[in-house]
Amino acid sequence: MQPMDQRELMTLQHYLKEYGQQAEIFVSQLEMLENGRMEAHAAIEALEGMMASEDGVVLLQIGAGASVRAKILEPEKVMLAIGSEVVVERKNKDAIEFLKERIMEMEASQKKVAETLDRLRSQMNEINKRLESGYQRSMAFGQE
Amino acid sequence: MFGGLKAKLQAARNRLGSSIQTVITAPAAGTGALREPAPELVAVSPTVPEIPGTPAKPTIVDKFKVLLIERELIVSDKDVADALSELELTLLESDVALPATDAIIAHVRKSLVGKHRKIGESVDSLVVGALRDALLDVLGNGFDLLDYIRTHPRPVRILFTGVNGTGKTTTVAKIGSYLKKQGFSVVIGAGDTYRAGAIEQIAVHAERLGIKIIQHPEGGDPSAVLFDTVQYAQSHKIDVVLADTAGRFHNKANLMSQLDKIKRVMKPDLVVYVDEAVAGNDAVIRAFEFDKTIGADAVVLTKADMDSRGGAAISIAHTIGKPLMFIGTGQSYDDITPFNPAQVVEELLGDA
Repeated sequence: MQPMDQRELMTLQHYLKEYGQQAEIFVSQLEMLENGRMEAHAAIEALEGMMASEDGVVLLQIGAGASVRAKILEPEKVMLAIGSEVVVERKNKDAIEFLKERIMEMEASQKKVAETLDRLRSQMNEINKRLESGYQRSMAFGQE
Repeated sequence: MFGGLKAKLQAARNRLGSSIQTVITAPAAGTGALREPAPELVAVSPTVPEIPGTPAKPTIVDKFKVLLIERELIVSDKDVADALSELELTLLESDVALPATDAIIAHVRKSLVGKHRKIGESVDSLVVGALRDALLDVLGNGFDLLDYIRTHPRPVRILFTGVNGTGKTTTVAKIGSYLKKQGFSVVIGAGDTYRAGAIEQIAVHAERLGIKIIQHPEGGDPSAVLFDTVQYAQSHKIDVVLADTAGRFHNKANLMSQLDKIKRVMKPDLVVYVDEAVAGNDAVIRAFEFDKTIGADAVVLTKADMDSRGGAAISIAHTIGKPLMFIGTGQSYDDITPFNPAQVVEELLGDA
């Protein structure tokens, strides 16, 4: 059995490294999208909670695990960053609708990024298999 | 691509259309209002055609023809104010930058308000026409790289800049492949001597594509690599030099001065800023800052296939005043498309 050409082995290693770097970028993008999605869900929960609260009193987190009781003056009005660094005032239920739409958009993006990541991983698996077989051939050739 | 924005624009377009439709149908509601405009409407030029020698009595059909086809209406600011405000929010929600949004709204308003329109004219085509013109105005003319190369002395030197992790090196490879397919000879300069593995990365791309690469050891002076690349291109009569550089943020003074040195040494014909479409308005702001600091002649947006909003692609040319040259739409070398404003507008406003 002929060993795999060293140049081919090195090229495969480079491919693997490059795909690995690309995969890292997509993984971090996926994490960002997931964080954004969770944040939007939390905001929806808070907005719904505000409307349900009879006296408008909520626990306001001020960091480091500390919270204070705060009274929301206008629970039905929400300042919402809609994009392009523009903040508009929306009714509570409209803000919830907006956030739900954002969640759907993020989920669609997550799906696309995840698909790309899957493709990259399957290519990496393929390269790994070829590398593995190359190493085995080199070892077998050494033992002959 | 642009799927989300397209759906939202369709809704805004329908809203604008129905606002104008209301203006058109309003006067016919009352009897006896056939010849008299409703006060709010600011409409009507009831011109009954006079044909010499024919009996003066028009039939009822003629009357309606005059009313529905030959009469004109003038759309007032008030008629479309709500719909335009909705369009404005739609664009902002899609991450279209504020200056670009303002320009689109102003253009649509100017196209629709105060203009005489035949009632027979389709309301939808009226609205689509106004939107199309406004978007084309904001998108600019694009940038025809092939035409630029054909009309400039060789080698044409193109320097790629941008922040980290946006796909700059892959973009260099994709453009190299694109130019090679168009019959141009290309050499790549591995100017990212900073990031571990960057030289190997671009070298692997170059080898796969059969493009010559000039490289120095990691940690070397990028200006020297790119100078050598230009020298190589000149002595081998290569058409295009593609110069990769390390990713950097515009506020890192030392890295920006390095870029300044690269510019002085290799004297690029084009400085191309690369960023990712998914960054939305952030990409626009970064491009603006980069252009202010180091200058940019054109922009490439990567990962446009993952961006359903399309805000960056719509606003970048208008906001920084530099054309969008290519958009990256996937992982393979062929997944790069010259940015064609007319095509994008068709995609956004088309019915398919």
